[in-house]
Amino acid sequence: MPTVRVQPDVVVELRAEETVLEGLYRHGYAYRTGCRRGGCGVCKVDLVSGTVRYTRVISQAVLTDEERASGTCLTCRAVPLDDVTIALREEELSRNPLLAFLCGASPSTRPPSQRATGRPTPSIPELPRGDEQR
Amino acid sequence: MSVLRLGYVHARVTDMAEAKRHYGDTMGLYPMLEEQGRVYYKGWDEYDHHSLVLEEGGVGLVKLGYKVADPADIELYEKRAEQFGCLVERMSTGENREVGDGIRIVLPSDHVVELYHEMTLVGTEVGTHNPDVFPRHLVGVGAPRIDHALITAEDPGLADRFFREVLGFYATERVATSLDDDAQIIGSWLSTSNTPHDIAVIGGPNGKLHHFAFQLADWSDIKRAGGLFAMDDVPVDVGPTQHGITRGETIYYFDPSGNRNEVFSGGYLAFPDRPTVTWTVDELAKGIFYIGRELNDRFTSVLT
Repeated sequence: MPTVRVQPDVVVELRAEETVLEGLYRHGYAYRTGCRRGGCGVCKVDLVSGTVRYTRVISQAVLTDEERASGTCLTCRAVPLDDVTIALREEELSRNPLLAFLCGASPSTRPPSQRATGRPTPSIPELPRGDEQR
Repeated sequence: MSVLRLGYVHARVTDMAEAKRHYGDTMGLYPMLEEQGRVYYKGWDEYDHHSLVLEEGGVGLVKLGYKVADPADIELYEKRAEQFGCLVERMSTGENREVGDGIRIVLPSDHVVELYHEMTLVGTEVGTHNPDVFPRHLVGVGAPRIDHALITAEDPGLADRFFREVLGFYATERVATSLDDDAQIIGSWLSTSNTPHDIAVIGGPNGKLHHFAFQLADWSDIKRAGGLFAMDDVPVDVGPTQHGITRGETIYYFDPSGNRNEVFSGGYLAFPDRPTVTWTVDELAKGIFYIGRELNDRFTSVLT
């Protein structure tokens, strides 16, 4: 799995399809973020090395092609393709000591992709069919 | 003659499939129409065809629609908006799906506001004959209606004047640089009905959206909405808490494109003769979040 290095020397390993922000949060690190949904651009950092891809559509108003080409990384949406190094912009990474302690633990919830978010289909519950022999 | 209420919010989303899961499944709005890359929604307690239009491509606000009480009002507002120096154009039936003739005004803050008198009346599930108090099979939050929008403007004082002088709104509350008469307005909450605000404007870049809000019945519905946000992994900005300004109860959260939404309940009953409340900048954090009295970075900087 790819790693993220935050300059100068913090390195975390990501899970498959995890964004830079999700991976750092999961390891107890924090920095300034906004909507966490790719809409505001507050969590932009400099991509010093490595490559990221965006699995979701990002508005040009938030991240322009020029920014992508010149090494701006929108961390809430950026999924590293290989080991990446980033530099925060005018701020320091902070760390939650409790999360740092817990980050080695296995996930206790289903990933969002497996959660039922769809509109429930109304259905008649399956009841014991006592009349089947009739 | 009057503007009745915020009729619709037309917003942009980057991914319609995700937006539909949020506004349909989590918020429980009724999808009314899907056509040409746009999806139209309404809350269960809204009689008109829609109150939210989503358009794929980008983020932020396309425009706000306000419904007026009388068709003759439109001409008057047109004249006043022109006198105020705004760009005004007429819009005809069908330009917006299910919306009648009206005008489109570009505010001094570059936001687009449309005024109309007619939208297709579709009614509600509970109907108007001996209605039940809510529809039985609501989905998710089951938001009953749209409530207000907060926009940002370089000159919030000018926007305050526009809504009062052109559209006849009254200011319920303001944030000002001091209590003196010549103080600068840096935020204004304005009503055209009996809710504490049908629009609010704070200082910031022109043309931007801070949030739009859905009205819920009460504090316990706010808490229940918060539970659904946890289940559906909706990023929460602030709350649940209470506002000093409006006294409403609230959670701010983000849609899948990063547009900020709010669920809002309560607040006082407002009337046009209500004296305007003034908050000074040093107490702004208490005005916005009465209980925590702290404005986070995100709340003030994230706009779409």
